[in-house]
Formats: sequence, C-alpha cells, structure tokens
Amino acid sequence: MTYSSFLKAEFLVLWRRKQDVFNALLFFIIVVVLFPIGVNSSPEFLAPAAAGIIWCATVLAVLMALESTFKEDHRDGSLEQLVVSGLSLPLLIVLKIIAQWLVVMLPLLITMPLLAEMLYLPSSGFWALIGTLLVGSPSLFFIGVIGGALTVSIKQGAMLVMLLILPFYLPVIIFSTLAVKAAQAGLPYSGFLAMLLAMSLLSLVISPFMTAIAVKASVNA
Amino acid sequence: MNWAWFHKLGSPKWFYSWSKAWALPVFCFGCLCLVIGLVWGLAFAPADYQQGNSFRIIYIHVPVAMLAQSCYLAMGIAGVVFLVWQMKMSPIFIKAMAPVGAIMALIALVSGAIWGKPTWGTWWVWDARLTSVLVLFLLYMGIIALQNTIDDVLLANKAAAVLSVVGLINLPIIKYSVVLLETLHQGPTFTLTKKPEMPAEMWLPLLFSVIGLYCFVAGLVLWRMQSEILLREHRSSWVKQEVTENGL
Amino acid sequence: MQSFASLTISDLWIERAERDLCKGLSFSVQSGDVVRILGENGAGKSSLLKVIVGALSPEEGRIAYSGEDVTLDRSILQQDALYIGHSVGVKQRLSVAENIRWYCPDVCTNVLHEALKSLELIDYMDTPVKKLSAGQTRRVALARLWLSQKTLWLLDEPFASLDVKGVELLEERIQQHALAGGMVILTSHQNLLSLASRDVMLLP
Ligand SMILES: Nc1ncnc2c1ncn2[C@@H]1O[C@H](COP(=O)(O)OP(=O)(O)O)[C@@H](O)[C@H]1O
Ligand SMILES: [Mg+2]
Repeated sequence: MTYSSFLKAEFLVLWRRKQDVFNALLFFIIVVVLFPIGVNSSPEFLAPAAAGIIWCATVLAVLMALESTFKEDHRDGSLEQLVVSGLSLPLLIVLKIIAQWLVVMLPLLITMPLLAEMLYLPSSGFWALIGTLLVGSPSLFFIGVIGGALTVSIKQGAMLVMLLILPFYLPVIIFSTLAVKAAQAGLPYSGFLAMLLAMSLLSLVISPFMTAIAVKASVNA
Repeated sequence: MNWAWFHKLGSPKWFYSWSKAWALPVFCFGCLCLVIGLVWGLAFAPADYQQGNSFRIIYIHVPVAMLAQSCYLAMGIAGVVFLVWQMKMSPIFIKAMAPVGAIMALIALVSGAIWGKPTWGTWWVWDARLTSVLVLFLLYMGIIALQNTIDDVLLANKAAAVLSVVGLINLPIIKYSVVLLETLHQGPTFTLTKKPEMPAEMWLPLLFSVIGLYCFVAGLVLWRMQSEILLREHRSSWVKQEVTENGL
Repeated sequence: MQSFASLTISDLWIERAERDLCKGLSFSVQSGDVVRILGENGAGKSSLLKVIVGALSPEEGRIAYSGEDVTLDRSILQQDALYIGHSVGVKQRLSVAENIRWYCPDVCTNVLHEALKSLELIDYMDTPVKKLSAGQTRRVALARLWLSQKTLWLLDEPFASLDVKGVELLEERIQQHALAGGMVILTSHQNLLSLASRDVMLLP
C-alpha cells in the first residue's frame, strides 16, 4: 500500500457510497427547513438567525457522515491492514479526512446560495458565512473523526458520537455566528475567521494522533 | 530528580496500600472543614449589602464549581500520563473521577439556578460561567456514557484518556468563546464570583469550604479507586490475600 | 524481498480479556522457515500473529527483526510483512482488481492477469467483492501473496473456506516462498507435514 493508492481507494469507496453523501446533504437541508417551519418564518427572525441555523445543520450533517468513517473498514478488516501497513497512521487519517471533507462539504457549499436566499440572509452576511464554512469546517472533521474512531466497534454509535463531540463544536459555532453577525452589522470579521483558522490548525495537529490511538485500540475490540 | 514515586504511583498494589492509609483521614478532615465552612458561611457570615442573604449560596456554588473544573483538569492530566507513559493507574483514576466531577458540575448548575432566581428573576441565564459549567457537565456525561458503552477494557481505557485530553485542550477555548459570546451580547451585570474586597468574615468560611470540599472529594475518589483496583486486579495474588485477610 | 531475514521473539506475554496468553513464549524464524502455530481455540494463535505484526501490544517480551529491536516501533517489520487476519481486509465496495491495486499499486497488468487466472478470479475482475463468495473473497486477499514482494508472511487460518484446489495452490505458493528465502508463520488445523518445517505449540 502507498499513500496515493490509499487515497485513490478512499475516493473510489466514497464514489460508490454517493447515496450516503447525498443522504447527508438531504439531512442538512431538512434540518435547515425545520427552523422556518417550526419556529418562525418571518424575515425579522430568519435573517439574524440564518447563520446559526446553517451552522447547526452543518454540524449535525457532518457528524452523521463521520460516524461511519471507519465502520466498513473495521468490519472487513481493512482498518487493521492500515494499522499494520508500515505507513504513518496519522498521515493516512489526514488523507482520509481530506477526502471526506471534499466529498461532504462541497455539496453543502453548493446549496448555500439557495438556502441563504430562503433564510433571507443578506449578501453582506453570505460571504462571511461561506468564509466561516471554508475555514471552520475542517476543524469539525478533525474533531469529529476522533469520535468516529472511538465508536467503530460499537453497534449504535451515532448517538454516542453526537454526545461526545457536539460540546467540542460549540466554539466553532460561536465564532462563526459571531463572524456572520459582525458582517451583517458592517463590522470587520476577519478576527473571527482567524480564530476559526487557528482552531482548524490546532485540530489538524492534534486530532490525527488521537484518532490513531483510538483506531489502534479499536481494531482489537 | 528522583522518579521512584512516579513509578510507584503506577503500581496498583503500592497505590492501594498507600490510599488505604490516607483515604479516611483526608475524608474526615474534608468533612470537618466543610461543616465549619458551611455553618459559618450560611448562618453567621454577614449578609451582602447588595444581594442580601441570597449571596450565601456562594459557599456552596463556588467550591463545587471549582471542584468541577479541577476534577476535569486532573482527568485531563491523567489522560496525558496514560497516553504517554501507559501508567496503569490513570484510567482507574479517570473512571473514579468522572462521576464525582459530573455531580459537582450538576450541583454547581443547580446552585447557580437557585441563586439566579432572586438575583436575575429567572432560574437560568446564559451567563458565561453557567454556560461553561453546563458544557463541562456534558463533557463529563460523555466520558461516563462512553465508558459504560464500551465493554472492552483496553479500548475503554484509551477512549476515556483520549476524550479527557481532547476535552482538556478544548475547555479553555470553549470558555473563551462563551465569554466572548456574552460580552458581545451585554450579559447580566451581576456575576456570582469576582466580588471586590470581601471582608475576612466573608471569605474565610469560603476558604474553609473550598479546602474541605477538595479533601472530601479526594477521599471519595481514593475509595472509588480502591474498589476499582480490586476489581481490575482480582486475579493477582496480593488482592486474593488482601480480601481473605481483611474482607471486603 | 530481503536475501536473508530473521524474526526472534523472546519471553512474550500477551494479556487479553483477563487471560494470559503465550506466557514466556520464545522462538525464532529464519529465511526458508515455515512455522505453524498450534493450539486449541482461544489459545492465542491469532493474538500472537497480531502482536508480531504490531496490531496488538504485548504486556512483556521483545521482538527483533533481522537483528533490529522492533519491540517499540514495528514499522521496519511492517514494511516487510504481509498479514492476512481472520477478516482478510478486502474492501467490500471495491472490485477485485481495485482491491489488488489498493494493496499492491505497482503491479503491472500482465502479472495481475496471470495471478487472477491462476486463482480463477479473472472472470470476476470487475465485480464488487461483496458479490463474491467467502472462498472467493479469501482468494482475493491471497492474491497479495503472488503480487507483493514481502519477506515475512503472517497468515491466520489461510486455508479457511478454500476448496481443495485452492488449498493445493496455496500450499504450493507457500513452498515456493520458503524456497526463495521467505519466512512464513501460519496458524492452521490443516495437516501440513510436507510443508511446515516447524511447529510452535501454544499451551492454554
Ligand atoms: N476481540 C477480542 N476482545 C477481547 N478478547 C479477545 C478478543 N478476541 C480474542 N480474545 C481473547 O483472546 C483469547 C485468544 O484469542 P485468539 O488469539 O483469537 O485465539 P485463537 O486464534 O488461538 O483461537 C481468547 O480466549 C479470548 O478470550
Ligand atoms: Mg484465531
């Protein structure tokens, strides 16, 4: 196995699982739609709340997608092959997350103009929202994958992953919504983006090692 | 530097006999201090000139909130120790500590709410301090849930350690972000702590109850660790000898 | 493949599910050896292979590969080892050819076709593995033995769910590998008198 053959196989598997990716996207849209219908559909409520709604839906969709990151690999033994491949496990995990990020986040980003319009998000806030999603979402993946790795050997892991990981997402959600609010008020928001970037980098440094520990412990459970 | 104590700390047998000698005195000392602090604080300390008697809940709230954070800090450090040195006592410590920390966080939340009613007029305010204690409580519950779900001991040990370490790194960020959220939203002007210039009659009882609660929790956790050690090491000869000699 | 290699295991002790396995086990394997691990169900055969390849950590013991101590960092051994466990590590959603390219990316098409032909998988080259039988899935994993250049083979019950022809084919391949200077450690209940140069018995 080499890093490139690993990455190629990852993309192939994700391509074969495109329905799962599509389901995550649908889930995301449905969660977003719940708010205008369930809470309040007036522009006065939705415009300031839009960023928060979109971020909460993103977080849930990402966690749903991440829960199954290692499940199939664990079942068929290919996760064990990664552990004993002689390649660096943290690096393999980074590659896996990059593949997942591209496949899950790009469709979400593409639906953003439509959803922003439906939630009456003004264009001043829209670009800030896209910025926070681009800069902040990698940290969602890097943190969330730790939960996915810890629960691979558990049958019903999705709920547990939510319970474990959602608290860690709070800062990302807070920084992002504050950034969009600042943009909507015409204030500078690059400080918040810098903080999101810092969180993404910090999680990039720490999470692959933590995930590798979790994967190693999980293959034998 | 002499590292012998560090290696001894990693040995369940040594730790068991050490903690057996210390748990009870520490616990009793803690109870004594706690009773002094609480009785003094709740019954005799002067009332606050702004908040009247309702401020007295700080004698409960402040110690438990401090404990809730300290317990997590200790768990996070134990997690690092386990991941780096594979020390056997670390996961036992984490397992013993998590429910205690969760209860501390819960008491902090409840006492905060009780204090909030007369002060703010509502049971709950999204004040930075209360919010971060709530998140802390959720983190504790996550660790407990994970440990109860995983039945493989090795995986459960690693999982709890990984999660405590990640939590330890994240807690300051969570706290910072929550404070940021509050300052940008113009939060309530009263806060439960940061009282300027408390007179000695007010902070002395607080000091007693803080020290008391620390010792109380230390004793409690030592006991919980002892029973966990006996469970985990039940195959070793020293445990068999211990149980036949002293009973359970 | 290395011209000469050796694997030395000394004073091993594995603890799993509160049981001591392989306590005090020591043995060594040299180029040309085929070692069979024997023991009842649950004696720790699979665990031993996992420890050697580094998927599981032993409680105590030392492992040396070609003179280098790899007890703490198994990566030198792993680069030279081919491990096939109970779950063979074949991706269900990928086709046979894609699976092989995942594991052995450098193999050229002719060689791949030859190997698949001899394993009777050539007709299934583009079939997703989840549509194959258990024996066929194992053959996909075993194709690595023909297509990668690793010295140390660690095979956990490699004959499981293979038919008579498959068993013959595999035995022949193992023999070839040993003659070429490779090392094979396998667990099996198959009678391998002609094949195994040595047995290691695990006591429960
Ligand atoms: N996934 C597992 N989790 C916990 N313990 C296990 C697991 N698999 C095996 N064990 C324990 O390890 C022992 C050895 O198992 P194994 O190495 O698979 O035996 P063998 O391959 O010789 O049949 C078993 O008796 C069992 O108690
Ligand atoms: Mg076996």
